[in-house]
Amino acid sequence: MAGLNPGVQRKGFFHGRKWPYHIALTVTALVIAFPLLYAALISTQTNAEIFTFQLTPGSALRDHFQIVWFDRGLSSAMWNSLQQAIYVTTGKTVLSLLAGLAFVYFKFPFKWFIFFFVLVTLMMPTEVMILAMFRQVSGYGWQDTMTALVVPFLASATGAFLFRQHFANLPADLLEAAQIDGASPIKFLTKILIPLSWNVIAAMFVIQFVYTWNMFLWPSLIIRDDSRQVVQVALQTLTNIDGSLNYGPLMLAAILASIPPAIVFVLMQKPFMSGFAVGQNK
Amino acid sequence: MKYRLLALLAVIALVAAACSSSSDDETATTVASGGETATTVVSGGETATTVASGGDTATTVASAASGEVTDIDFWVAFTDYRQEYSEEKAAAFNAAHPEYNVKITSFASYNDVFDAAVLAVDSGEPPALIHFFEAATRQALDAVDSSGAPIFKSVTEAIGGRTEIVGEPVVLDSVIDAARNYYTVDGSFYSMPWNTSTTVMFNNMDILNEAGITEPPATWADVTAACEAIAALPDAPSGCITWPNHSWFVEQSLGQQGELLANNDNGRTGRADEVFLESDGLINYLEWWKGLSDAGYYTYTGQQRDWGGTSNAYLAGEVAMLVYSSSDTTFFDRETEGLFTNQASFMPRNEAVDYVGNLIGGATIWMLDGLDQVTEDGALAFANFFSNPENAAEWHQLTGYEPITKDSITLLEGEGWYDESPNSQVASDQLAAAADTPASLGALLGNFVAIRDVITLAIEDILVNDLDVATRMADANAEANKSLTEYELLNAG
Amino acid sequence: MLIAGLVVAAILGPLYVRRNTINPTAARYGIGSAVAVLGAAVTPLAMGQCSFAEHSSGVDKLLGYLLMFGGAWLALMGARIFWDRADGKKKGDAAFAGEIRAGGFRLGLWVPWVLLSPTLIILLVFLYFPAAATFTLSTKLTRLGAPKSIDVCFTNFTELLITDPFKLVAYPLIAIALIYGARFWKSRSEPGSASRKGAEVAAVIAMLSVFVALYAMFSPGGGGQVAYRPVYINTVIISVGIVAFGMIGGLAVAYLAFRQIRGGGVYRTLLIWPYAISPAVAGVLFFMIFDPTAGIFTHTMDVWFGIDVPNYRESAVLAQSSIILASGWKILGYNILFYLAGLQTVPLEQIEAALIEGASTWQRFTKVVLPALSPITFFLLITNLTYAFFEVYATIDFMTKGAPAGKTSVAIYEIIRVGVNNGDLGRGAAQSVLLFIAVIAITMWQFRTSGERVSYGGS
Repeated sequence: MAGLNPGVQRKGFFHGRKWPYHIALTVTALVIAFPLLYAALISTQTNAEIFTFQLTPGSALRDHFQIVWFDRGLSSAMWNSLQQAIYVTTGKTVLSLLAGLAFVYFKFPFKWFIFFFVLVTLMMPTEVMILAMFRQVSGYGWQDTMTALVVPFLASATGAFLFRQHFANLPADLLEAAQIDGASPIKFLTKILIPLSWNVIAAMFVIQFVYTWNMFLWPSLIIRDDSRQVVQVALQTLTNIDGSLNYGPLMLAAILASIPPAIVFVLMQKPFMSGFAVGQNK
Repeated sequence: MKYRLLALLAVIALVAAACSSSSDDETATTVASGGETATTVVSGGETATTVASGGDTATTVASAASGEVTDIDFWVAFTDYRQEYSEEKAAAFNAAHPEYNVKITSFASYNDVFDAAVLAVDSGEPPALIHFFEAATRQALDAVDSSGAPIFKSVTEAIGGRTEIVGEPVVLDSVIDAARNYYTVDGSFYSMPWNTSTTVMFNNMDILNEAGITEPPATWADVTAACEAIAALPDAPSGCITWPNHSWFVEQSLGQQGELLANNDNGRTGRADEVFLESDGLINYLEWWKGLSDAGYYTYTGQQRDWGGTSNAYLAGEVAMLVYSSSDTTFFDRETEGLFTNQASFMPRNEAVDYVGNLIGGATIWMLDGLDQVTEDGALAFANFFSNPENAAEWHQLTGYEPITKDSITLLEGEGWYDESPNSQVASDQLAAAADTPASLGALLGNFVAIRDVITLAIEDILVNDLDVATRMADANAEANKSLTEYELLNAG
Repeated sequence: MLIAGLVVAAILGPLYVRRNTINPTAARYGIGSAVAVLGAAVTPLAMGQCSFAEHSSGVDKLLGYLLMFGGAWLALMGARIFWDRADGKKKGDAAFAGEIRAGGFRLGLWVPWVLLSPTLIILLVFLYFPAAATFTLSTKLTRLGAPKSIDVCFTNFTELLITDPFKLVAYPLIAIALIYGARFWKSRSEPGSASRKGAEVAAVIAMLSVFVALYAMFSPGGGGQVAYRPVYINTVIISVGIVAFGMIGGLAVAYLAFRQIRGGGVYRTLLIWPYAISPAVAGVLFFMIFDPTAGIFTHTMDVWFGIDVPNYRESAVLAQSSIILASGWKILGYNILFYLAGLQTVPLEQIEAALIEGASTWQRFTKVVLPALSPITFFLLITNLTYAFFEVYATIDFMTKGAPAGKTSVAIYEIIRVGVNNGDLGRGAAQSVLLFIAVIAITMWQFRTSGERVSYGGS
C-alpha cells in the first residue's frame, strides 16, 4: 500500500487553476495556527498590556522566560517529562519487538490464549481503572518516583500487535536464511528484523513519545512533589504566578512545553506515515 | 530512516543537556552556560540573552562541625513566591543550626500534600512537618496509619511546656486569639499556625468616588446601593463587585450572622454529624448574592474557587469591589499602584442581624508522630522559628497574611508599618472585632472538602441556571449530610 | 432467589451448547449445564448473595441476576473455545493466522516465554490487577485515607440508575427489539428498493434508541440518587461534538490539501502539527482566547460586532462548544494526516469515470471519495472517540473545570472529581466500571465491524 505514503503523489488528478488552492491553504493554515500565534503574542505581554488588547509584541518576554524557566522550574518539569518519554518510548519499543518476535517466529502451547490475553487489554485503557491503579502503585511506595511514571506503561497490546503484524508481512524465507546461519533469536532480531523495521520503529517512537509527553491524568495523581512533576501538570501551577493569574508566563510555558513533541513529530512525519501503513493494511 | 532517528536522538540529547543543566540552576552554579544553551536550543534565539539572576534562594547547608546532620522534611503547599520564602527561612534556620537540614518540598495544593503524606507514612518515609489547611483539621485529626495509630502529634504536647527548643524560643503562647481559638481542639494546639487570613473587601475608590460614595460599603444594603450608583455612571464598568465562589465566603457570612454550619457547636463540643445548609443566614446570604448577580452587579467568572479570575477582574477595572482573602493585601497594594486607589475594608455584613464575627482561614503546620527526639525537636524548633516575631512580621509584610503572634504585631506597630500601609491593618481589626463564639470560630467537620464542593456547586447552579435558592440548598443539604454521615461511619470511633 | 437463578442457568447452559457448538454431545450438554451453574454462582457467592438480601431493592436483585447471567455466559464462552479447538475449528488461531509460519525457531519452549514475559507481567500487574480491583472497589464505601471500609453491594451502581426495575428492564429490551426489527426488515427488503431505504432509516433510529434508552435508565438525581443522567448527556454531547468537528474538519482540510501543488509538503506540515500539542496545552490556549477578562474572542465580538458575549463558563452551550472547539482543533491534525493518506488511495479511474459521466464535484465526493475512505473513517471514528472519552480530561481541567454547574463534567472528569477530589473511591470506581463497559462495547463493535485491526488509541 505504497500509496499511503503522502510523499508519493499521483498525477492527473489536478484540474484547474492553482492559486485559489494556495490562498485557501494559506488561510486554513493560519486559522489552525491562530491559537498558537495568539499565545505567542500574549507571552510577550504583561497583564496590563493584555488588558488593553494591544496587538503588538509586549515588553515582558524576557521576564516571563526568567519566571517560568528558572524561578518556577519549568526546565526541571520538562526534563522530567523528557526522561519519562524516553524511558517509556524505548522500553515499550523493546518489549514490543520481543513480543512481536515471539508471536511470529515461535510456536508454543497456549499461544492462542496468550494472544487473547494481550488482545483483551486493548479494551482496558488505564483511565478506567485509574483509581485502583493509583491505590496499587502508591501501595508499592512509588508515589513521586520516575518508576511510577514509566513502569506501568512499558507494555502495550498496540505495540506488540504493530510489530507482530509487520513481521508477519515480511518474507517468510528470512527465517530460513537465519536458521541456516544458526543465528539466535536475538541476533535474528537485531541483525535482520530491526534493519527492516525502521519505519515501524519510527512510527512507534512518534506515537509513544507524543503520548507520553502529553500524559496528564496519571502524573497529576501519582506525582505530588512539585520538583518531580511532569510538564503538562506543571502548567497548572503556573495559573498562579505571584498570587494571580498571569497570562503571559502561562502562554510562554504552554509554547515551550509543546516544542519537544513538535520537533519529534515534524522530523519524523514521513517514517511515521509509512510505518502507519503497516497498521492500516492487514 | 535510521539517520532521521539518529538526528532526532541528537536533538533530544541537546535539549536534555539544556534542560538538565538549567534545572541545576536552582543551586546557581551553571547559570550562564545553562541559560545560554537552553534558550538557543529550545526557543531559537529570540531570548538567547537571558541569563538567570536567581540563585539567591540557594539552600546551601554548612555541614555541622561535629556530629551528624538531621534532615527535617517540610512539605509546603505553595509553588510560588511563598515557596521561595519558605526556602529562604529554611536556609536561615539551617545556617543557625548546622546540626539540622530543613528541606522544603513544594506541592500544588493542600490536598496533594496531605495525600502524599498519608502515602509516605504507609511506605515508611514520611516528612517531619506538613502544611495543611484549616478546613481539613478534622480530617488531619482523624488520619491514621495502616496500624490505626494517629498520623500527627499535637505540638502542644510535644513542646511539653518548654519555652525554648534547641535555642529557638517557643512562640505558641503568643499566637493571636482568632487563630488560637480556631485551632485549639480539646484544649490544645494540634498544629502550629502559619498562614492565616480572613476575608476583606478591596475597593476601587476611584470608581466609588465617581459614583459619589466616599466610604467603602459596610453592609449588604450599602453594597447594593453602591452598585446601583455605579451602574448609573456614564462610563460604568461591566460589573460592580466580585468574589470567588468559594465556600469560605459562605462560612464567613455564617460567622458574621452568628449561625452554625454544623451541630455540636460547629463540631467543637463533640464530633459534628449534621450540617445545616438551609439555615436562614445561609439562605439570606445566597439570596443577596443571587440578587446582585441577577441585577448584573455581581460578576461570576464561571469557575468555582477562582482566585485568579476574580483578582484580574478587579485589577482590570471590570469591578469596583472585590471580596477576597486578606492574604493578598500586599499584592493588591503593589499591583494597583498607579492604576487606582485601592482601599481595604471589612467584609460586607448583613445589616438585618447583629454582627458576631468573621473567622480565619489558612493553614497550619502539622508534625508527624513517631519522629525520633532529635528530629522532633528540630521540627518544633523550626516551626517556632518560622513564626518568630521577625519572621511573622516579614511574612505579613510580604503577603498580607495575619502577623500570627502578638509579639510580631508589637514589632510591626513599633516600625510604624500600619501607618505606612493602612490596608494591612484591616484584617487584624476585623478579627479583633469578632466575638469568641462557636459560630465565628468556624466548623470542624469531616469530609469538609467534599461538603465545600457541594456548597459551591450549588451556588454555581443557582447563579448560572437561575434556580430557587431554598430548593437548591435543600438538595445540597441532603447531599452534604449524606457525605458527612458516611465520613463519620468510616472514621469515627 | 439464588436457587431460581441457578436453575435458569442450568437450563440455559444446554441451550447455549445446542446453538453454539459444532458437535453437541450428551456429555457437553451436561458439562454446559454445570459450567453455566458454576459461572452464575461465582458473583453471588463472592459477594455473599448481598443483592438477594431481604432489604435489597428490585434494582439490586436485577443487577444480581444480570451478573449471574453474565457469569454463566462467560463460563460457557470459555468452554466453547475449548470445544471449538477440540473440534478443529481453532478460533483463537484464526485471528492471528497471518504469522503461523512454517517451523519457526526450533528452540526450547522457554524462549518465547522469556521474550513475552516482560510484556505479560506488566499487562497482568498494571492492567489486569487494577481492572479487577476496580470492580472490587466499586462494591465498597471507602475513602482515601479512611481506616475502615464498608461493603455496600451494588449501591454505588443503583444510585446512578432510576429506581424502577421494570423500566430498567424494559428500556434496553425496547432498544434491542428495535435493532433486531430493523435488521429483520432489511433482510426482507430488496436492495435499492424504497423498502430497503426505509429499513436503513429504521436501523439508524434503532441505533439512536440505544442512546435514548441509556438516557432514560440513568437517574436524573433527587431522592438520594446520584444525578448521573447529566453526566451521560455531557459525555454524549461533547464526544459526538469532538468527533464530528474533528472528522468533518479533518476531511475537509485534507480534501483541500491533498492535491499536488508546489509547496504541498510545507502546507501539510503547517496543517497537521496540532497532533503534537497536548490536550492540556490545547486547554491553555483556548482558555486564553475565550477568557472573559482578557481573551481576544470576547473583545473582538464586542468591538467588531457589538455582541456582548457572556462568559463562556456561565453558559452550558458556550462551555461545551469551547471544549469541543479546543479538543477538535487539537485532534484535527491527526485526522488530516490520515485522510491525506487515505485520499492517495482513492481509485483514480473511478473519479475519472465519474467525471466523464458528468458528475458534479459534490457527487464525485459523496459517491466515489467517501466510500473509498470508509475504512479510514471507521478507524478515525474509534481513535477520535477514545480521545473524546479520556484525553479531553486535561482540556476540561484547564478551561472549565466542569463549569457551569457540571455541564462540562464528562464521565472521566466526574470519576476524578468523585474518586479523587472528593476522595470517594467506591463511587468513583463504580463510575469507572460504567465507562469500562462503554469502552468494551465500542471495542466489540470495532472488532465486529472491521475484523481484527490494530488500534492506535494510545496506551
